[in-house]
Amino acid sequence: MEPLSAAPKLRLHGVGKRFALRSGADAVALDGFTLDVRRGEFLVIVGPSGCGKTTVLNLLAGLELPTSGTLAIDGRAIAAPGADRGVMFQDYALFPWRTVWGNVEYGLVYGPAGRGLDRAARDARVRHYVDLVGLTGSENKYPHQLSGGMRQRVALARLMANEPEVLLMDEPLAALDAQTRLILQDELLRIWGQDRPAEARRTVVFITHAIDEAVFLADRVAVMTSHPGRLKALLDVPLARPRNDMTRTHPDFQALAQHIWGLIRDEAYRATVT
Amino acid sequence: MTAAASGALAPRLLRGAAVPLLLLAVWSAATALYPTVRTPTPAKVALAAVEMTASGDLPLGVLQSLGRVFGGFAVAAALAIPLGLAMGSVRGVERNVDPLVESFRPIAAIAILPLAILWLGTGTSAAVSIVAYAAFFPIVVNTVAGVKRVDPTLLRAAATMGVDRLTVLRTVIVPGALPSIGVGLRIALGVAWTAIIAAELAVGAKAGGGGSGGIGQMMFVFYAYSIELNRIVVCMIAVGLVAFVLDRGLRAILARLMPWSH
Amino acid sequence: MTRQPLRSPAGAAGVVVYFRTMAAFALAWAALSAWTANTALLPSPLAVGRAIVELAADLELFKHAAISLGRMVASLAIAVALAVPLGLLMGTRRLAEDLLDPVVEVLRPISGIAWIPLALFMFGIGNALPVFIMTYAAFFPILLGTISGVRGVDRRLVDAARTMGVPARTIMTTIVVPAATPSLLVAIRLGVASAWTAVVAAELIGAPSGLGYAIEWYRELLMTPQVMAFIAMIGLLGFLFDAALRALSRRLTPWAPEARAR
Repeated sequence: MEPLSAAPKLRLHGVGKRFALRSGADAVALDGFTLDVRRGEFLVIVGPSGCGKTTVLNLLAGLELPTSGTLAIDGRAIAAPGADRGVMFQDYALFPWRTVWGNVEYGLVYGPAGRGLDRAARDARVRHYVDLVGLTGSENKYPHQLSGGMRQRVALARLMANEPEVLLMDEPLAALDAQTRLILQDELLRIWGQDRPAEARRTVVFITHAIDEAVFLADRVAVMTSHPGRLKALLDVPLARPRNDMTRTHPDFQALAQHIWGLIRDEAYRATVT
Repeated sequence: MTAAASGALAPRLLRGAAVPLLLLAVWSAATALYPTVRTPTPAKVALAAVEMTASGDLPLGVLQSLGRVFGGFAVAAALAIPLGLAMGSVRGVERNVDPLVESFRPIAAIAILPLAILWLGTGTSAAVSIVAYAAFFPIVVNTVAGVKRVDPTLLRAAATMGVDRLTVLRTVIVPGALPSIGVGLRIALGVAWTAIIAAELAVGAKAGGGGSGGIGQMMFVFYAYSIELNRIVVCMIAVGLVAFVLDRGLRAILARLMPWSH
Repeated sequence: MTRQPLRSPAGAAGVVVYFRTMAAFALAWAALSAWTANTALLPSPLAVGRAIVELAADLELFKHAAISLGRMVASLAIAVALAVPLGLLMGTRRLAEDLLDPVVEVLRPISGIAWIPLALFMFGIGNALPVFIMTYAAFFPILLGTISGVRGVDRRLVDAARTMGVPARTIMTTIVVPAATPSLLVAIRLGVASAWTAVVAAELIGAPSGLGYAIEWYRELLMTPQVMAFIAMIGLLGFLFDAALRALSRRLTPWAPEARAR
């Protein structure tokens, strides 16, 4: 793993996305979005609904192309999806006809991530990640037999088994109830490696609309506004790692969360009355 | 329409017409290469179509068949919708009636035709009953499904407001089930049209040149008696056209009745 | 949330209700038959039962059933072999759809049964005619169902595979086809229902054997109990074929809501 060096892992420069509406007018999802994501950092993008957060993620994933500006990973332009940037979708996108094991190994069997791995090595890797996310014993279950929290873990294991350089996560915990969310936030940080040295962690770009979740997870928080989607603020989260339940009651936590809320509040209010 | 959309329209029309035109060309070429007196060609079919329409034979046949379809369809709907509503909302009714419905559903209307002929002769009443039998099942099945699809919380809400069962049926269940009933009606109309053609064909085959008219009858006569393949093809096209118009027509009517669904 | 569609109440209770209803039906039938007192017009349930036993004993019942069933299987195989690949193509490639859709939409409303007179010319009376008609009848539901199944594949599943760097051809075989399989199986069931309806008409008019032929044969002899026996056979086989497909669905795609519902 590369050391936390100065060169950014991901670079978004002046990124804009507009598309034509049926009425003939143009909708601007993103405008002039510029951001550097550091190697190994956990960056969270937070903002009100419709501010373009998911668009940023789709552009980074290569599932969409920008109408202006550039995106690059390690200096290479991003133009298509690839195994170097893994994605975790909001509704998990698990393959319902494949078991837990079948889902986690899919990218290794059919994608470039598995190239050079023989059967034994592949099985070992799948085993490692299934155990890591805590699904030992459920390998042969199908998604429809699993709870929401378990499906989330499968999606995470599948993402990580491909060992992508960058993990892109689109509101992965949004569909879960509040208690499961708290548990999985802890789990996510553990699996990402918050107990390990910084050099051993992968770069993560995480989308959420929950401010406390953002502050809890992130090294830095990018606050967006909507109409058009723009980067409003980029804030450091000075809370020490590893983070746990105590972190949430720390005064700095509350202060930062309040500050972020203050930045978004007016927009959020307007969204409920328009 | 923006420039982009109208620009895309012309090539799409061309592509759409390409294969049918190609097939017509192949058909004409094949018949030109291997001419026999009987083989239908696009030109002869077109000619026959004009003749049959002008003489009134084709419109008359279509109207006769349509009349039977509408008759049978109306009977089927009048029986099936209330039954479906009852089955869908009252557990007891469904439990006891369902075995009968499910036992007869796999028996195609055309299989019942010999019995219908036995009991009602080769006339219109047999044809109408066959159509009614055929149309009955899709309507019942879809009506039941429609009633079941009504959100139970809506029913509970109405109950907590003290509304009696019959009013709930009328004001909550029926509107909620209408889209499904509509689907059932559309399927039933298509099935009914197919059934009448089949019935008229079969009656024509068995009753000789007699029987009571309709498109299916005409087709059989052209096969067995006057051996006019071109006219058979004209009838087939008419069958297809009417089916298409019936479906579109019913869809438009249903869309009018239920603007909130599509 | 919808209420669950009612399967017959599970297990023993369901069997009891089934027999209770059918017994009530048989009683009403027996009463009506006694009242008309004409075996050729309305034989009693007992007479029909006897006919079934006789026909089963000399295997005639099974002989015709096997022939019709054999034609059904052959037609299904051909229809699936043609319609599924075509549906995959049309569902994924815009060009294929633009080219072929007009032809499909023109032919589809012309039911398989309407082809019988023309097909009689092409094939004469024999095995080929019913198989042709049935294949045609099964083809369109399967094609349309395949296309809609492919279109209905969750976009996110395809995206997920793309973000893992999986090539497009592999996505087609490992994602699109499995995801579309439940819809495909539903479409095949519809195709079977359509073809099984057509088989009776086709055999009634254009085949020297099979259940449809047998019905007509005994009708001409005014042996109504035998007619009803074969009608019952048609119903039974239709039901069994569909039940088999439903079971196959549950086995192949246990994860799909379609497989778990009715």
